[in-house]
Amino acid sequence: MTRRKSYELSPGKGPSMWRNLEDKARSGDELTKLAQEEQPGGFVTDLLSPKALVSRRSFVQGSSIAALAAGLQGCVRRPKNEILPYSKAPEYLVPGIPSHFATVTSRGRDALGVVVTSHDGRPTKVEGNEQHTRSLGGTDVRAQAYVWDLYDPDRSQSPARRSGNALVDASDADFDAALKDLAAKHAKDKGAGLRILAPISNSPSFRRLRDKVIEKFPNARFHTYSPVNDDNAREGARMAFQGSPYTPVYDYAKSAVTLSLGSDFLGSEPGSVAAGKRFGVTRMLGSSEAPMSRLYVLESNFTVTGSMADHRLRVPQADIEWFARALLLVLAARGAAELKPIVDLLQRVEGALQADAVDLPWLDAVADDLIANRGRSLVVPGAGQSARVHALASVMNGALGNFGRTAFFGPVIDPDDSSSGASIVELAKAADEMSSLIILGGNPVYDAPADIGLGDLLSRDGLTSIHLATHRNETSERCSWHAPLAHELEAWGDQQALDGSVTVQQPLIAPLYGGRSEIELLATVAGEENSSGHDLVRETQAALIDSDTKALLAYGIPATDLSSDVVWRRALHAGILLNPTPSKPPVNFTRIVEELISFRSRNPVSKDNIEVVFEPDPALWDGTHANNLWALELPSPMTKLVWDNAALMSPTTARELGVKNGQMLRLSKGDAKVEIPAWIVPGHADYSVTLTLGWGRTAAGRYGNGKGFDVNPLRSSDAMDFTDGVTVEPLRETYNLVQTQTHNRMEGRPIAIDATLDEYKKEPSFASYRSVDPVSTPPLWQQVDYSEGHKWGMTIDLSGCTGCNACVVACQSENNIPVVGKFEVERGREMHWLRIDRYFVGEDENNPDVAVQPVTCQQCEEAPCENVCPVNATVHSPEGLNDMVYNRCVGTRYCANNCPYKVRRFNYLDWHGHLDDKFGWYEDFPESRKLQFNPNVTVRMRGVMEKCTYCVQRIEKGKLAAKLDGRTLRDGEIRSACQQACPTGAITFGDLNDPKSKVSKLAAVDRQYKLLAEIGARPRTSFLARIRNPNPKLKGNG
Amino acid sequence: MSYDAPIKELGETSLLPEGTSAHDITETIAGVTENAAPRGWWLLFLLSLSALGAMTAALAYLFVQGVGVWGNNAPIYWAWDITNFVWWIGIGHAGTLISAILFLFRQKWRTSINRFAEAMTVFAVLCAGLFPAIHTGRPWFDYYLFPLPNQMDMWPNFKSPLMWDVFAVSTYLTISVIFWYVGLIPDFATLRDRSKNLTRKRIYGFFALGWRGAHRHWQHYERAYLIFAGISTPLVLSVHSVVSFDFATSVVPGWHTTIFPPYFVAGAVFSGFALVMTLMLICRSIFKLQNIVTIRHLDLMNKFMLGTALLVGYAYAMEFFIAWYSSNPYEQWVFFHNRLGWGQLDSSGNWGPLWWAYYAMVFCNVIVPQVFWFKRARTSVPIMLIASVLINIGMWFERFVIIVTSTYQDFLPSSWGMFHPTAIDILTYVGTFGLFFTLFLLFVRWIPMIAIAEVKGNLPGAHPDMHAIEAHDEAPDALGAPVPAE
Repeated sequence: MTRRKSYELSPGKGPSMWRNLEDKARSGDELTKLAQEEQPGGFVTDLLSPKALVSRRSFVQGSSIAALAAGLQGCVRRPKNEILPYSKAPEYLVPGIPSHFATVTSRGRDALGVVVTSHDGRPTKVEGNEQHTRSLGGTDVRAQAYVWDLYDPDRSQSPARRSGNALVDASDADFDAALKDLAAKHAKDKGAGLRILAPISNSPSFRRLRDKVIEKFPNARFHTYSPVNDDNAREGARMAFQGSPYTPVYDYAKSAVTLSLGSDFLGSEPGSVAAGKRFGVTRMLGSSEAPMSRLYVLESNFTVTGSMADHRLRVPQADIEWFARALLLVLAARGAAELKPIVDLLQRVEGALQADAVDLPWLDAVADDLIANRGRSLVVPGAGQSARVHALASVMNGALGNFGRTAFFGPVIDPDDSSSGASIVELAKAADEMSSLIILGGNPVYDAPADIGLGDLLSRDGLTSIHLATHRNETSERCSWHAPLAHELEAWGDQQALDGSVTVQQPLIAPLYGGRSEIELLATVAGEENSSGHDLVRETQAALIDSDTKALLAYGIPATDLSSDVVWRRALHAGILLNPTPSKPPVNFTRIVEELISFRSRNPVSKDNIEVVFEPDPALWDGTHANNLWALELPSPMTKLVWDNAALMSPTTARELGVKNGQMLRLSKGDAKVEIPAWIVPGHADYSVTLTLGWGRTAAGRYGNGKGFDVNPLRSSDAMDFTDGVTVEPLRETYNLVQTQTHNRMEGRPIAIDATLDEYKKEPSFASYRSVDPVSTPPLWQQVDYSEGHKWGMTIDLSGCTGCNACVVACQSENNIPVVGKFEVERGREMHWLRIDRYFVGEDENNPDVAVQPVTCQQCEEAPCENVCPVNATVHSPEGLNDMVYNRCVGTRYCANNCPYKVRRFNYLDWHGHLDDKFGWYEDFPESRKLQFNPNVTVRMRGVMEKCTYCVQRIEKGKLAAKLDGRTLRDGEIRSACQQACPTGAITFGDLNDPKSKVSKLAAVDRQYKLLAEIGARPRTSFLARIRNPNPKLKGNG
Repeated sequence: MSYDAPIKELGETSLLPEGTSAHDITETIAGVTENAAPRGWWLLFLLSLSALGAMTAALAYLFVQGVGVWGNNAPIYWAWDITNFVWWIGIGHAGTLISAILFLFRQKWRTSINRFAEAMTVFAVLCAGLFPAIHTGRPWFDYYLFPLPNQMDMWPNFKSPLMWDVFAVSTYLTISVIFWYVGLIPDFATLRDRSKNLTRKRIYGFFALGWRGAHRHWQHYERAYLIFAGISTPLVLSVHSVVSFDFATSVVPGWHTTIFPPYFVAGAVFSGFALVMTLMLICRSIFKLQNIVTIRHLDLMNKFMLGTALLVGYAYAMEFFIAWYSSNPYEQWVFFHNRLGWGQLDSSGNWGPLWWAYYAMVFCNVIVPQVFWFKRARTSVPIMLIASVLINIGMWFERFVIIVTSTYQDFLPSSWGMFHPTAIDILTYVGTFGLFFTLFLLFVRWIPMIAIAEVKGNLPGAHPDMHAIEAHDEAPDALGAPVPAE
């Protein structure tokens, strides 16, 4: 409203301030000189000239300098306590300027390279590493959330020993002594009775030290167990590739037709980030002429991959294998000659092919499409599918000529490592001869198959059990010793991804609670003299680095300077040490045929034979992140449920069982039973129920305890992925499940607009027709001219958005967004600045399409929120940002009422001190969690409105850097947190005034539209309508 | 003949019963402040004080914790807080209307109820003003809403209707208080003169501003009263128009409606009359004022309510017409689904969950007042008591319907929500009744609740042309041209 008047300042005016008479006698010129010395930039001179126009900022700067020069120190209130300045400042550290470090986070046997931002030594934000082959710059939800785990106030803070039924704190020295005793005890018997159980590891150092331990204790045994594992994939590869577990790595960017056999390759499977990036390339069309890939998905639960499908067939998990077998037959008949031998054998055996399990028109269309795109197609098996399906998929990819074109293979890694399922059973069988058990991380008492009874096994007398874990969890409670495990951001390590690339995991912070890493503990057990993680890793890597890698890493350095230190530093900097080494595995059909023939029984699902499928939770995973607030309050992509899991089923199943949303169910098979509320998911396969792992923890920590329902009791060692014959008994009670989005339909409104590729070709501008811009409405007041300077804008390509939620958590960690708790979410008070709207599209409630749409502040040029704020707390910046002035906001909430997109979030209570305790008094906010805050973003108090700022702190940082370098901003230099996190690259941010910027080009793509343009708010964010590419041969989406 | 004289042929009676003397009026009205309070007064006063105490506790809790203790959420950022604000402000309208507009239109019957209505106005506006002040997230910064000069050179946003509200409501409160006080001066003098102890004499004397009843006093007084009536008249229209701008200038479907200013004013007058009626009926019976506030007065008020009910009903219908005629799908959804409830509109067939609020509103505001077409209903105290209470409930629902059923399902279905009030919401609302009635009961007890001087002006004997009228009555053609009143 008001135009600021310029300040006037001249030496003669104002109160004269002096320290002594000499000072007082000084003239204005001297003052000027002093000030100039203080600030050599020279602007102070301008400031002191009486007629200069002075900005507020330079006024404050200048006046404070002048005041200091004139001897105002006497008036400054100094803190009385002593300060400890750096006597020697750490090299490269500029206070207030964050540093970035490349490191890596594990995904089972895969690894995801990340770059972590550190503010004054505190890691605060995780980004993808563009140079890492498994990240390509993107991240997933878990990567975004894992910085929270570092600051989890409930992390184990010291070793502990069992005393009676409880764990009692112990010192590190006690623990080391116990470890030494253990080693001494087993030194005599060469490790007989010593077992070591570890989760799946991708670490070369781990493997090296494992061998060292075995060397020292030849009778000791290692076991591997992870609840979410790659048993099927490895076993399938062994079947197909002469016993060697080659790991397939798919390049979706080159695939024109992709068939997913129950694979959630864009969501929960290893490599989903790189898959998203590559898949996105084939979907986000620059024009209606561009080629587009087609995705067929068979699945039981509705996953994010299913939501991206052009054709999605909902089938029970068990029937996917029968589809794969039938497909083999049809492909062989239509020209994939290589498959003939298998098919001939299969056709001779009764029951090896079962036509009733297969949707024939669908099969026909898929087969035709795959054959027509030989060498440009992919068949992708799901992690939850049997080993046979994995083998079949490899065989089909081979027969379709995809090897080396779309399907690649990483090296054989750790071929002798046994599968999780078998290994944990073996451990249980060996219980009697076991006298010591070391558990390196994980939580097997909670997540091991229930039929093993690991908990009772651990409580046996005479067994010394040592558990290394981040939390004193369910397993620690049963062990004789517990020691804190260092977080990945606290410890040295190395990780090899499925494609063979190796990355050093470098710590950003010393262990907060003195934790140690797995390899450090193994080194101690192995009796290594030096158990420092750093040295262990360097020793491993020294052996790994070959001359090629050296040359690559040393690019541009004279060979004479090429010491191992240089290579090492370069590797740390780049975040990748070894590049992928593709291999060409030999295919062999014999074992596949044997396996296929040996499994011929199909037991079709029905109301009386319900199938239960176990999946990792999209946010909590297997329970690893069960105390992570960001994960707990992250809406599940399809159900939008928060703070709980549920038994997911189709509307038909629910109707036939007489079940309503939230009704408690008792699922039982044999003696095992689980009670869990039901949730109806349109598009779920009938007579199949999906249960997500990771919930119902009892020793997760203050936030995660008792949230959701533990489904592990139903999981048995012979059916880790899915099982049938489960009885579902609806109970009387209902349970209150809470969603962030309760209405699932668009009600015919042009919101998340989509079209088929044919429609798009016919009418490229269809999206903007459907959402009319009221250009004819004259503005109420003169419109602002944004043609000078920057004009920030964003585009979101709905063709590329999978709805995976990575952006939601990225926004949360970047912008210090609080978590509110289940009770408050139920009241609609969740705080996510960026939300992902999910709509079901189509008439058939059992088989809908899904449209997802990330919605955040649209930065309207004629922002309805700004007019109505009585105190000018939300105003427009000259660059077109809709700024929120927190300290001016009184909280009338009028702006939020008037926001058509409902993207404004209000701090109804002090969310940092109030978590789900309804109307209780404030609690202390845990100190450790304060360390996570991004210091460049205000932590908002209660009573204040907040919303997306397009990450204004990043914009300012980028502008400042460009200004200091004396150059203009480069496109892509400033990236919003959501953009940076997005695995597919669907979000683009930049300057709309720069005609060469990516965002201005995308904003001009024909399928762009503005959400609710008819209101006339002139939003800056453009959406690019989603294009679907259905096969004309298949009607509908089924 | 005087136009306000009762037309006996039509069965009209004079406003005050035959034979009422000026002394009777003074005795009756001033007596209330002089005699011991009846037991009913004490009972009501204690009740009101408890409610006020409850409100204080609720507010303390609110200030410590934040507005989250209410049921407001996203997308229903305003709920009971602003509903109550608009409702109380609406109630505050009857006072000024009766005092100012009816005064300018020379509606003599207003004299028995105007004082009462003005007091109600002041107290209702106080209750109303409370809500915008406490509904903010950080009430200690409420002063940002006032255009105070400050070192930051920051002014409020004059484009914001909330800003206009601040001016409209504060002006209205100031003018209402002054207008009320000016009217009270002669009556304070009466009380002073009747005082039997010194304290009482001094206090009333202070407020009477040395009134002696001189002709010059009366002349100034009448002129001032006329001027204030003139100033107040546009305020009656402006305050609620401005309040309606809070909604009408927004983009929210169901709020963005051009009919809102007249619709809100009609509704305000309607609800104001209804509350005056409810309270009048109670006071009339407790303090035995049947001779001053007669059935004739009540009959006229009921007619007024019937008229405003029809206006409000018309506005309701017109909103639906425009929603249909505009073809705006968002607006149609709000009116036909959220308010009427029609499940056919929703793809899953669900009725708008708050449909009952809309039907409650229509029943109370449009259907109930139709009984006043019948004279028997207009003159029956129990019927009008029930009707007026129902109308006030209906008017509360009207504001609730406008605020909540518009926002809970607006543009993007992904953000739709639902509102549930909390105990603190209810306690705060009930508490404002405590504030209102505590002030009101104190007023009834210590200030003449009916304008003594003005009512006396309605006595047949007070009329300057009394004899002429009598002569006219006896010989219809004797006087010729009508004589202007006063």
